[in-house]
Amino acid sequence: MTKGVALALGVLAWAGVAALAILITFNIGDKNQVLMFLPILASVVLAWAVGEAVTERVFDEEGGAR
Amino acid sequence: MTFFRKAFERKHLEDPRPVQAVFSNTWLAPLWLIARLYLGYQWLLAGSHKVWGDDRWIAREGPDGLALKSFWERAIAVPAQGAPPIKYDWYRDFLQYMLDHSWYHWFAWVIALGEVTVGVLLIVGCFTGLAALAGATMNFNFMLAGSASTNPVLFILAVLLMLGWKVSGWIGVDRWLLPALGTPWQPGTAVQRVERRLPHLRPHERPA
Repeated sequence: MTKGVALALGVLAWAGVAALAILITFNIGDKNQVLMFLPILASVVLAWAVGEAVTERVFDEEGGAR
Repeated sequence: MTFFRKAFERKHLEDPRPVQAVFSNTWLAPLWLIARLYLGYQWLLAGSHKVWGDDRWIAREGPDGLALKSFWERAIAVPAQGAPPIKYDWYRDFLQYMLDHSWYHWFAWVIALGEVTVGVLLIVGCFTGLAALAGATMNFNFMLAGSASTNPVLFILAVLLMLGWKVSGWIGVDRWLLPALGTPWQPGTAVQRVERRLPHLRPHERPA
């Protein structure tokens, strides 16, 4: 159950990253590429870091989706 | 015969350590992340202009793909003086064939949505190697059609990301997706579990 919830939350988080990237790029365009790059970078790193932490706690020590 | 047997006997050639460190080691994953995000962002930006912008290629009043049609027409034009944009006759014939059959109506959708998809997949790091391959294919075709622009730089980045497919998506979805799916020669954890539950789906056993 816990693993299923963690997996679903992970999928939702990465879908959120994709949605954020599309929203930023489509709405702001290429007015300021550096300013738009930073939130996308931050969201990817955040999603990955939370995913690493959850994987280590919820899944077994070898990591990876199981 | 001995010569050929010796020349083509199976030898496993190791990559130099620096090459292994760059393309197979996760400690350089942050560098791959920057390259991946830059490339993905450029594709998403290019795709957004075609899907969303004022001069968009698709979903506008009138027939779709007229912008692509004029791009192809400019590309296949052979000027009276000077060099034509396309160097290869077979590629010019290919574009002419697509123009003659009005393929630009649906091909504009393929390009516009393809660019957005490649951009999103690269940004989230999902099937990074395959997404980079799709991007490189588009760059290659744009360059064959005589459009340089940013394509050479994006093409080189895509080739590097393909070479580093094992680690270029490490800070991304591939960190979990690739171990779960594995490869044809080494099935991942999710595939092994499916094989255990559904043994009749298992391919032929490998010879010992």
